[in-house]
Amino acid sequence: MRDVAVIGVGMIPFGRRDEDTLLEMLAYASLKALDDAGLGDKTVDAVYVGNMGGGIIQHQTAIASSLVDRLSLLPAAADVVENGPASGGSAVKNGVLAVASGYYDTVLVVGGEKMRETTGWRATDFVATMTHPQAEYIYGVTLPGMAGMFTRLYMEKYGVTREALVAVAIKNQHMGGLNPYAHVEMAITKEGIYDDHASIVNNPTIADPLHLYDACPVSDGAAALILCPLEKLKNPAKPPVVIAGFGQATDTHTLQEREDPTDLKAVTLASQQALEMAKLKPSDIHVAELHDAFTILEIAESEHVGFFKKGEGAKAALSGKTAFGGTIPINLSGGLKARGHPVGGTGVAQVVDIVWQLRHELPKERQVKNAKNGLTVNFGGFGNNVLSFVLRRVEQ
Amino acid sequence: MKREIGIVAYKCKKCGKLHYPFHDRCLACKGREFEQVKPQGNAKLLTFTRIYNLPWGFDQRYLTIGVVEFENGVKAMGQLKVDESYPLEVGMTMQPSWESVRVQYGEDVYGLALRPLE
Repeated sequence: MRDVAVIGVGMIPFGRRDEDTLLEMLAYASLKALDDAGLGDKTVDAVYVGNMGGGIIQHQTAIASSLVDRLSLLPAAADVVENGPASGGSAVKNGVLAVASGYYDTVLVVGGEKMRETTGWRATDFVATMTHPQAEYIYGVTLPGMAGMFTRLYMEKYGVTREALVAVAIKNQHMGGLNPYAHVEMAITKEGIYDDHASIVNNPTIADPLHLYDACPVSDGAAALILCPLEKLKNPAKPPVVIAGFGQATDTHTLQEREDPTDLKAVTLASQQALEMAKLKPSDIHVAELHDAFTILEIAESEHVGFFKKGEGAKAALSGKTAFGGTIPINLSGGLKARGHPVGGTGVAQVVDIVWQLRHELPKERQVKNAKNGLTVNFGGFGNNVLSFVLRRVEQ
Repeated sequence: MKREIGIVAYKCKKCGKLHYPFHDRCLACKGREFEQVKPQGNAKLLTFTRIYNLPWGFDQRYLTIGVVEFENGVKAMGQLKVDESYPLEVGMTMQPSWESVRVQYGEDVYGLALRPLE
């Protein structure tokens, strides 16, 4: 297996992008990554596109074929990778395997979604199509609903308070306000969303015990990266970052069949695989992007990855350990909560954000000093298909 | 007319693990032979949520969803038929029934409905 380097990254601002089609968003992010890699007029060997809903929302299938044509990357191999909200992570994994195996030398991975062109009603239904058709979907359960049931159990078992959930929302929206790519750039305070009368209006229940500010927005957006073998990099213009490890694990489709529904086994397994491959421990990670589609997930994942013991994640969030300047800063991009969650794009965007951190390219209010190792968790379904990546800066 | 609960669980003939929904191989021992098991008795509420942002197909203000465990160990999701103000609690005993849980393409779709045992 060859070491795989990320030599180019690109992202377009997430949010509501009425002016762009899904294909245009994928193309813009790809062009940024190609330019960042200094590929100029050169082509790539293969393209992997992470996308969940093009066939449903845009009524457009086989979009990887359209993308290589639009970008004049012909005759590059091109595939769409669909794995729910982990589509982006799965696309990255496929790209990494293709380069590591020696089959391809230069690979473009891009992930994106255009979710705002439909109604919230339809978008919620589209995301819910990943639940079990007969045992879950027919009842009208949504992903916020799954998260609500999980949160109730997690709060009861580990004593997580609403105050801790609010702390995650405040932290991530603060970071989103510093990130020009973020969908939500509005910083919030505890007042008005937590414990006063205004919070009833400002922060209504969406799936109790979860409230509006516990959930990520529905976003349009795309992100891309270029992979190549580390051994082929000669005098790179930017500090190389390698995919030092990755892991992927699955769990039961339905929540009710898990022995302990609060145990996110796939998160634990995927991150363990990634850390073992990178020969690192959770304490060696300097910055992480976790899949906070709901605030509870940042807390739960921070424990399942091993940054904190079970039951300690909420305390860590409240004490600032996961904030910028804390012992393990999490979601300095704003996370899904603020950067946004275009489902097929998220797993790629997380890797892009970590690459920026490890290249030390971010403005000082978001840059972890001397960051060398970063980790991502991309959470598909309700934890039934999870990918994790460990990235490392290679010193010249 | 009272309808029979339309859920069928599957007990592995090799190791006894109970599954719902169906799996072609046992999640515990990979066995492929199962005995069909119908849920029995009332059900204990394991977790629940009240959803206010509903998906396409539900023209109502909220929906209450929960996961329950029947007396013979079968676990399933269902719709909780209670008012918004009803004080639901984990551990409550619920009475199951098989009712229309949504309408798709003009047709009723039947599923598990649950009400607190008064």
